[in-house]
Amino acid sequence: MALVTVKNLSFTYPNTEHKALSGIDLAIERGAFITLMGATGSGKSTLLRLLKPELQQNGVLEGVLTYAVKTDEGDRDVALNEEKIHPRVVGYVAQDPEEQIVTDKVWHELAFTLENLGVRQRDIARRVAEIASYFGIDRWMERDTATLSGGEKQLLNLAAVMIADPELLLLDEPTAQLDPIAATRFIETVYRLNRETGVTVLLCEHRCEELFPISDRIVILDGGRVALDDTPRRIAQSIGRDSEYAAFLPTAARLYHSVTRSAQANDTIPQSPSGDSLLAGSGSPSVASRRLPNGEHLYQREPIIPLSVREGQRFVGNLHRKEKTTSERSDGNATEEALSLKRIRFRYERRGADILRDLDLTVYRGEVFALLGANGAGKSTAAAVAAGLRKPYSGTIKLFGRPLKDYKNGALYKGNLSLLPQDAESVFLCETVREELKGCDGVLQKLPFDLTPLFDRHPYDISGGERQLVALCKALSTAPRLLMMDEPSKGLDANRKALLLDVIRRLKHDGVTVLLITHDVEFAALCADRCALFAQGRIAAVDRTDRFMTDNRFYTTAASRITRRYVDGAYTVALAAERFSSDGGAV
Amino acid sequence: MRFEQLNPFTVAVYYLCVLGIIMFSMNPLLIGIALLTSVLSAVIGGTADKKAHLFSLAVFLIAALLNPIFVHKGATPLFFFNDNPITLEATVYGLCAAGMLTAALYRLRDLSRVMTSDRVLYLFGRFSPQIALLLSMAIRYTALLRVRWRRICDSQRALGLFDDGNLIDAVRGRARVLSILITWTLENGIVTAESMESRGYGTGRRTSFAVYRVHKYDVIVMLICFLLTALSAVGVYYSKAVFYPALTMDLLNPWGITAAAGFTVLSVLPLIINGKEAIRWRLLLSKT
Repeated sequence: MALVTVKNLSFTYPNTEHKALSGIDLAIERGAFITLMGATGSGKSTLLRLLKPELQQNGVLEGVLTYAVKTDEGDRDVALNEEKIHPRVVGYVAQDPEEQIVTDKVWHELAFTLENLGVRQRDIARRVAEIASYFGIDRWMERDTATLSGGEKQLLNLAAVMIADPELLLLDEPTAQLDPIAATRFIETVYRLNRETGVTVLLCEHRCEELFPISDRIVILDGGRVALDDTPRRIAQSIGRDSEYAAFLPTAARLYHSVTRSAQANDTIPQSPSGDSLLAGSGSPSVASRRLPNGEHLYQREPIIPLSVREGQRFVGNLHRKEKTTSERSDGNATEEALSLKRIRFRYERRGADILRDLDLTVYRGEVFALLGANGAGKSTAAAVAAGLRKPYSGTIKLFGRPLKDYKNGALYKGNLSLLPQDAESVFLCETVREELKGCDGVLQKLPFDLTPLFDRHPYDISGGERQLVALCKALSTAPRLLMMDEPSKGLDANRKALLLDVIRRLKHDGVTVLLITHDVEFAALCADRCALFAQGRIAAVDRTDRFMTDNRFYTTAASRITRRYVDGAYTVALAAERFSSDGGAV
Repeated sequence: MRFEQLNPFTVAVYYLCVLGIIMFSMNPLLIGIALLTSVLSAVIGGTADKKAHLFSLAVFLIAALLNPIFVHKGATPLFFFNDNPITLEATVYGLCAAGMLTAALYRLRDLSRVMTSDRVLYLFGRFSPQIALLLSMAIRYTALLRVRWRRICDSQRALGLFDDGNLIDAVRGRARVLSILITWTLENGIVTAESMESRGYGTGRRTSFAVYRVHKYDVIVMLICFLLTALSAVGVYYSKAVFYPALTMDLLNPWGITAAAGFTVLSVLPLIINGKEAIRWRLLLSKT
């Protein structure tokens, strides 16, 4: 029996005509791991919140929503609003790692949930200890919650929810604010919980790369309706290359579609010379196409489409390779320096450790430069120092050939340099977007998107992605010659990322120098001219994007990881698709 | 168990006793002991650096000088300064008051180091789980607001929205930062509220969890504290220390000596506890 059954569910927010959700049918089986995908505004969050009784918003709910509640006589279906569902039953983790934390100490945060439920001291001690060691947070139990990193905070939030032992775990874009390493760790923890404790997981997320291989089911929402609901492989198969949902697919699957688009996708299963199926032994029993002695497939209902990097490698390994057709990219002739940092040393506290250790960095005029690296490596500090917000204790910084301190009376931030911060909230002053963007008319006309529909709304009422775009407008309003952007792609869905890419290309076209500070390798691969890897307070490697992505083994795009053993320089899906062809069978 | 690891309640009781005697005894002998032992504790415990010692010395000197300069009571003039008598009595009183102030300062510094936020929380939480939670949230928010203030200042400046050119602009800028800070915090406070609610806040009677226990050792230390404090207090009561008009000290009668001895032991109690611990470690190590 399904843990939660949703039948023909519709939901309308007050004072709107438009249905946020309409005709949703969904069965959530006990122990399932379900990923919910969809563009911003597709109703993902609305659906998740409806499933958590305490978080239901005002509005008109139609249809059926029932929970299977365990009783002595077995499970019994309880409709929502008919009977109170105990807060313990459904756990909920939201997007913002910081705001969900209530107390000041890690141990108190864990105990808080149980204190609310009136658990006795002795039992709390035991369960706090238990959960802390399961999540590996026992070493920082005594720490202040304010000192934790984003990844640690989110892990703590998950632990604080799991300590109540919920049956259903709802996660609303929990990794949107995290760097890729922390995000992967978080998702692995959720997966481990699902396997080891059997907790039912419903997760909504943009991060398809990690989630496709491990989810039992993928549900794609579009405009408040369920567009697709199937196993990851069938979903990946049915979403074609040109489908509007193509951006939800992991790299391996997109590469598969790109390569096989001319042929009949369903039938071209390249066979290796030994006759084994391409994906046999890939670790997923539902995929391995077992053959009967007579050579017929016994089990072919799951389509064979690669989802993970490993499966992707097996797939391209059996394809025809083609020579490079695109010409080698030129190194560019920009030699004029826009920004140069020489032997910069910086620390926050007199007695603290150096955050920047002899940092050397040169950004040329008119280029898009990406500074990559893990969170906490000091990238943002480097940006703050380069933007003149923090003073290094040694070294020199020059902007367009002049020392930073020569820019007097705020001239630095008027027409020369602008830094778009990570938190868009820290930018907004006014009651409406219109007031916020006063004086930005010139910028607005140039942008590839229209912000006018948002004009009458409060900056806090629009979505995170929209906020990011409004903040970008403000950053551009001073017409800077150098634009620094700190994690601009954080929390954006695929469409918004594409918009942002477009903006960056236009800026480059207009001759603006762009410095991206990001941990999003895939994003940097699509727009940067040069990339640098930041580690231990200095630049560990800096190179042209194609060489950077090709030479890196771990810190590179999924496409590069899939193809790098076979061809060089195929670090995006588009580039990789040019280098392989499926016709002609195996090599 | 080291002194700092005792139950916060025990630690609080200890400091209340010591500070009480220091501040209310006004007995030169006891103040001398208090000053010596506080400095000794700070040096051995490493709680005060050179700067802190120099600051304390400055406080001591200023406080000691102020009394004889402004108070001219007393029967024994030492010399005349601007036609005003500087008396022996006022000088001794000034030294005592300065000693009391300095010793108390040293002890308070110790106290603030030992009493971290979660210990204070535990103390108040004993009275009500609601207060405990409120304090805990307040502490968390101050940390959060500090970080945010910095971030807003940075992003406003880097977007060219911040002028530090003159005072009025600077003030206006700060006001704007404050306004953003408040909006941001209030808007996002909803997330915190939802997080609390979805984790069962307000569904029933709360319990309060603490990582501290009251051990037998705590009770023993507290009893010793009370005993020594009582001894000192009674001793101080029966030994005379009169400053004006002339010094009449009867500090070394049996009661006075009892008070001094009791207070000495009380003052170095943390050192004894920690020293015992250190010796025990030595012995353990030498056995293996």
